Amino acid sequence: MYQSIVYKEWIKTQKVIWLLLAVFLGLGIYSFMKIAEDVRLTGTAAYWEAIIQKDISLFPFFKYAPLLSGFLLGITQYLPELQYKRLKLTLHLPLNENRILSLMLLYGFSVAGLLQFLTLSGLLLGLSFLFTTEIVYVVFWKLLPWFIAGWAAYLLTAWVCLEPLWKRRISNMIAGICVLSFFFIQSKSGAYQPFIPYLATFVLIAFSFPFYSVMRFKEGIQ
Amino acid sequence: MEPLIQCEDITHYYGNRLIYKNLNFEVQKGKILGLLGKNGTGKTTIINILNGYLKPQSGICRIFGERMDKLSPQTKGRIGLLLEGHIQHSYFNVLQIERYYSRFFPRWKKEAYFRLLEKLRVSHKQKISTMSCGQRSQVALGLLFAQDPDLLILDDFSMGLDPGYRRLFVEYLKEYAASEDKTIFLTSHIIQDMEMLIDDCIILDYGKILLHEPTDYILKNFRRFTFSASSDAFAENQIVRNTGKTGNRWETYSFASIGDVRAVLSVNNEISDLKEETLSLEDAFIGLTGKY
Repeated sequence: MYQSIVYKEWIKTQKVIWLLLAVFLGLGIYSFMKIAEDVRLTGTAAYWEAIIQKDISLFPFFKYAPLLSGFLLGITQYLPELQYKRLKLTLHLPLNENRILSLMLLYGFSVAGLLQFLTLSGLLLGLSFLFTTEIVYVVFWKLLPWFIAGWAAYLLTAWVCLEPLWKRRISNMIAGICVLSFFFIQSKSGAYQPFIPYLATFVLIAFSFPFYSVMRFKEGIQ
Repeated sequence: MEPLIQCEDITHYYGNRLIYKNLNFEVQKGKILGLLGKNGTGKTTIINILNGYLKPQSGICRIFGERMDKLSPQTKGRIGLLLEGHIQHSYFNVLQIERYYSRFFPRWKKEAYFRLLEKLRVSHKQKISTMSCGQRSQVALGLLFAQDPDLLILDDFSMGLDPGYRRLFVEYLKEYAASEDKTIFLTSHIIQDMEMLIDDCIILDYGKILLHEPTDYILKNFRRFTFSASSDAFAENQIVRNTGKTGNRWETYSFASIGDVRAVLSVNNEISDLKEETLSLEDAFIGLTGKY
C-alpha cells in the first residue's frame, strides 16, 4: 500500500523531478564556467581577494533555485489532489488518513532533499578543486539557508494547496512568504550559522501545517 | 434486514440556506437505493456527509455501523466510491491506475477491470485525462468492479453521459448487483433508465424527503390524472399534487384511486372527462417535485 502511494506521487512528479535535475545541473555548470571566466579575467589573486574581502557570492543563481524547486514540487504534487477534490479519492483509500498524508509529505520532502543534497554536494565538491577548504566551508554556510528554504517552500506550498478555502489560502500564502523571507536576509557569509537550528526547527514544525489543512478539508469547509 | 447505511436526524445549512432538516433514511443490505432530486437539493451533500467529507450541523450517519467521520480503513475498503463526474486520478494511464489501486484491496479482480475496458477503444497507455466523459465513466466503473466492494456509493453517475453510456453503465451495474448481492446507494438528477436499476427510491425536495418508497410501488400506484374544468385554480392537498393547467386540460398527480381523486377535485369545482395514466419513473418524479 505504501508503495502505491509513492507510485502515485512519482507519476505526478516525475517530469518535474527530471526538469529540476536538468535545471540544477545546468545552473551548476554555468556557475563553474562563470567562476572560471572571472578567475581568468580578474586573475586568481584578485578573485581570491574579492571572495575574502568583498564576500562575493559564488553561486548567486542558487539563491532562489531551491525555493522555486520546493514550490514547483509542492504544486505538482498537491494541485491535482485539490482539482475536482480528488483528495477525497486519496483519503478514501483503506489506509489511515494521517499515514497517507505523512507518506505524501515524506515523499516530496525526500525528493526535495535528494535534489538539494545532490546539488549542494556537487557544488561543494567542484569548489573543493578550485579553492581552499575554508572557502568551501564559508560557501556551504552561505548556501545552507537557501537550501533549507527549499524544504520550507515545499511544506508551505502543501499547506496552501491543501487548504480548502480561498480566503484562508491567500492568508496562508502571505504568512508563508513572510516566513520564507527570513531565509533570505542580506548578511555576511556565515552570519546565518547560529540561526540555522531555528530555521530547521521551523521546517520540522511546518511539517504539521498540511495536516491542519486536510482536517479543514474533511470538515467540508468551503 | 440489516441496514448498511443509517442516517439519523441530519440537519445541514450552507450559510442561511437550509439543505435538510432532520433527514432520516436507511439503506438495507442487498438493495439498490436511488436518491433522486433536482439540482441543488443536496444529493452530493449527503454523499459527502456519509463519507466523512462534510460535518453536518447535527445528526449522524453510520456505514457498516461506524460513524461517518471515523470510518476505519477496513470499512473504507468495503466501500466503492464514485465521485460526481467520474473523477479519477487522471494523470495515470489505463494500466497505471489499475496497478495503483490493486495493492489496496485484497479481493482485487484485475480481470473485471480489463473485461470492461475491452469495450472501449482505448490503448492501455492512454492517459485518463485524454478520455471522453463516457470512457472515464467506464474506467471508474471497472475500478469499482475490480475492488469488489460490499457497498457502492455513486454520486450522480449519469452526469455527462450520453444515453448509450448511461444505459451501458446501468446494465453493468444491475448485473453486478444482482449476481454478487451488492448494496448500492446512488444519487442522480437524470431519472431516465433509473427504473431499470433501483429497488427503492428516495425523492428529495428542497429541505426534506418527499417520498421514500419501493420503485415498484411508485410505478404501480402513482398516476397522472387529466381533466377539464372551468375553475382557475385547485387547492393543493394531501391527495393530489402539482395540479396545473397544460393547454386546455388540467393535470394532477396522485397515489389515490380515480374515485378518490374525482371526489377531491369535485369539491367546489365542476370537472369532466377525468382520465388516468400510468407513469414512468421520470414522469412520477416530475409529478412529485413539479416541473420547475
